[in-house]
Amino acid sequence: MKVDVKSLGTFNRLAHEGAEQATASLCQMTGLDAVVDVTKITLVNRADVGDQLSDGDYVGVQFEFDGELAGDTVLVFDRSGSETIVDSLVPGGAEDDAMARSSVEEIGNIMMSGFIDGWADFLETTIEHSPPTYVEGDGAAMLPEPPNDEERDQVFVFKSEIEWIGESVSFYIYMFPEYDPLADVMARTGGTEDDAIPIDKLEVFNEMTKDGTQQAAANVEMMTGIETEAEVTRLSFAPIEDVPKQVGTDTYVGTVVEFTGIPSGFLLVLFDEASAVHIAEAMMPVEMDEDELTDQHKSAIEELGNIMTSGFVDGWANVLQTSVEHTPPRLVHDMGQAIVDPLAAQVGQHQEHAFIIDSEMRTDDIEFGAEIHALPNEKELRQALDELLVERADETQADVEKIF
Amino acid sequence: MSDVLIADDSEFMRNLLREILEEDHNIVGEVENGVEAVETYKEQHPDLVMMDIVMPIRDGIEATDEIKNSNPDANVIMCTSVGQEEKMKEAVRAGADGYITKPFQKPSVMEAIEDVVPS
Amino acid sequence: MKVYDGTTADSEPATPPERVKVGIAESKVTDGDAVLTTSGLGSCLGVAVYDGSAAVAGLVHAMLPSIDEMEGTNEAKFADSGIRHLVAELEKRGGDREHMEAKLAGGSDMLDFSENGSGIGVRNVEMGRRTLAEFDIPVVGEDVGGDHGRSLRLESANGDLIVKSANRDPITL
Repeated sequence: MKVDVKSLGTFNRLAHEGAEQATASLCQMTGLDAVVDVTKITLVNRADVGDQLSDGDYVGVQFEFDGELAGDTVLVFDRSGSETIVDSLVPGGAEDDAMARSSVEEIGNIMMSGFIDGWADFLETTIEHSPPTYVEGDGAAMLPEPPNDEERDQVFVFKSEIEWIGESVSFYIYMFPEYDPLADVMARTGGTEDDAIPIDKLEVFNEMTKDGTQQAAANVEMMTGIETEAEVTRLSFAPIEDVPKQVGTDTYVGTVVEFTGIPSGFLLVLFDEASAVHIAEAMMPVEMDEDELTDQHKSAIEELGNIMTSGFVDGWANVLQTSVEHTPPRLVHDMGQAIVDPLAAQVGQHQEHAFIIDSEMRTDDIEFGAEIHALPNEKELRQALDELLVERADETQADVEKIF
Repeated sequence: MSDVLIADDSEFMRNLLREILEEDHNIVGEVENGVEAVETYKEQHPDLVMMDIVMPIRDGIEATDEIKNSNPDANVIMCTSVGQEEKMKEAVRAGADGYITKPFQKPSVMEAIEDVVPS
Repeated sequence: MKVYDGTTADSEPATPPERVKVGIAESKVTDGDAVLTTSGLGSCLGVAVYDGSAAVAGLVHAMLPSIDEMEGTNEAKFADSGIRHLVAELEKRGGDREHMEAKLAGGSDMLDFSENGSGIGVRNVEMGRRTLAEFDIPVVGEDVGGDHGRSLRLESANGDLIVKSANRDPITL
C-alpha cells in the first residue's frame, strides 16, 4: 500500500469537517459552545493509542462502521464534561445514572452519524454504522479491542480534539479504519504515483524513530543517573497551521536544531520547567538545590538537548548510510506553541501539510517528562524513504571500534 | 602530564571535561568553536586537542583537518554526541586519532587519551 | 476594583464579555464587546483592527507574509490576504476603513534559521504594515520582533490589545 500526501491531506480535511459537523450537532442540542481544535492522522502502535487518555475518568460511545470504509469510531468525553452535557439536555439528569447514560448514548449517536455521513458523501457511497455502545473507564477502556487477526502493529488513527470554549477540558473523536478498505480508498483518491510513499517504509521509519528515542532516553539515563524510558513514538500528519498546537501553551525549556541532509528539518527537545530544573540538577557535579532555572541549568539542558538530538538522528543517518548534519542547539525557554510556530512557518513556506514525529519519555523516580518533536521537510523525507532499505532498518548504531 | 586544549561550544561540557582531565593533565585552553581551536592550537601547540564536532562558525572536523595539515603529528580526539558512521569516517579522513561519543564515562575518556598520548 | 488578567477595570461588568478564541491562520470579528484572544505567536503576526465609531473589532493570526508566494486558499494564513479579509469583514459589519486603527504584535525572530535575507517574523511585520498602508489604516500600537513568544487579548469594547509573554509583564497597546 502506498499513500500520497494529497490523499492524506484530503482524508485529514474530511475527518476535520466530520468532527466539525459532529460538534455543531452537539452545540445545537446543548447550547454549549465548542470548537474543533486539531485533527490529525497518526501512524502509531495500536497498543499505544490510549496513552494520551490514561490518567482520567471518561465516558463515551463506540460504534462499528462498515461499507467502503470499515472500522471503529469512539467519542470520548471526560466525565465532568459529559455531566455538563447531560445537565444541559436534561436539567439534573447527571444525578440519574440511567438517564445520564442514555443521554450520552443518544448525543453520541447523533454526533457520530454526522461524522460518518461526511465520509460516505465524499466516497459517494453509504456507510452503515452499528448502534452505540456505552463505555466508561480509564483511557484504555475507552478504545475498542484491536481485531484478533491483527497482523500489523502499527495502525492509522484519525483523531480530532474538540475544545469547550471557556473550559480547560476537551473531548475526542477517534476513528480506527481497517487497513485493507482504507488502502483501497486511499489508492483511489491518490494523485500522481510520484508523490506516493509506501506505507511499509513509513512503518520502518517509525520503528527507527522508536530506536532513536530509546537511544536518547539511554543518553539521559547515562548523564543523569535517572532511569528513563522511551514511551510513545508516533508519526502524524496535519495541516501546517495545526503543527504548533501539538505542543501546548505551557512554558517549556529545551533546545532546537535545524538538521540538513536526507532527511532535513527541525528537531526540538522540550522539558516542562520543573523537569528541566530536576534534570539539570541531576547532571550537575555539585548540588545547586535551586528551584528556579539558572544559567547553569540552561547550559546543562543545552548539552543534554544536543546529546539527545544526536541520539535521535544518528539512527536515521546510519540506516540510510548518509550523514545528517545539525546546527548547534539553540536554547529556548518560552511558551510551547510559540517555540514551534516559527519552525512550522519555515517548513510551511514550501508545503501545506506536514509530517510530525513525536516521542515522549518518562521516569517514575522524579517528576520528569521530555518530549522530542521532529518536523521534517516533506521533499527530503520522501527522498529518505525512497532510499531507505527496509532490511537495514536495525542498523541504527555505528561501531566506533570498527572505524578507529 | 600532557598539555590539553578543549574545544566545545557547550560550557557545561567544557566544565565536565576539565574536571575529568585536570587531575592528570594540564589544560592549556578552552575554546568554543573551530576557528578558535585552530588559532589556539597554533599558539600553544598542546599535546592533545579534545575536539567537539558540532560547533558554530567552524565545525570540529574542518578544524581537525587544518590542525593536521599544519602539523601531521598533532593529536586530536573527537569528543562528540554524533554517532553517525559517515561522520566517523569523515573524522578519520580529517586525521582524527580517536573518537569518543557523548555521553561518556570517565574511564572511557582516560582510556582514549592513554591510547593517543601514552603517559 | 477587580483585576482581570493584568488589566484593571473600574467597575465589574454585569456579565463577563464573551471570549472568542482565534486560532493560527484564523481571523474573527465582533460587533459586540467580546474579548478576542490568540496564543503562541512566535514569528506569526497578530493584527488587531478596531473601529470605535462603529464598535467593531477584529483579530487575525497570520503565519506567513504573502498569499502570492503560496498556492494557499486560506486567506487568514497570510498577513496580506488576512488583513484584506479582516477589513472586508469589519466593513460588512458597519465598520469604515477611514475610522479604523490597527495594532500589530508578534513577528518575533526567535528560532529563525535562515542564513541570508530577513526571517519570516520580520517579513510578516513588513507585510502587515504595507497592507494596512494600502487601506490608509494607521498603526497606533506595535510590539513586534524580539526573541520571545506572545499571546494577545483584544478587548473590543475599547480596542485595547494586551500582549503577554512568558518572561515579561503584560503590556497594553
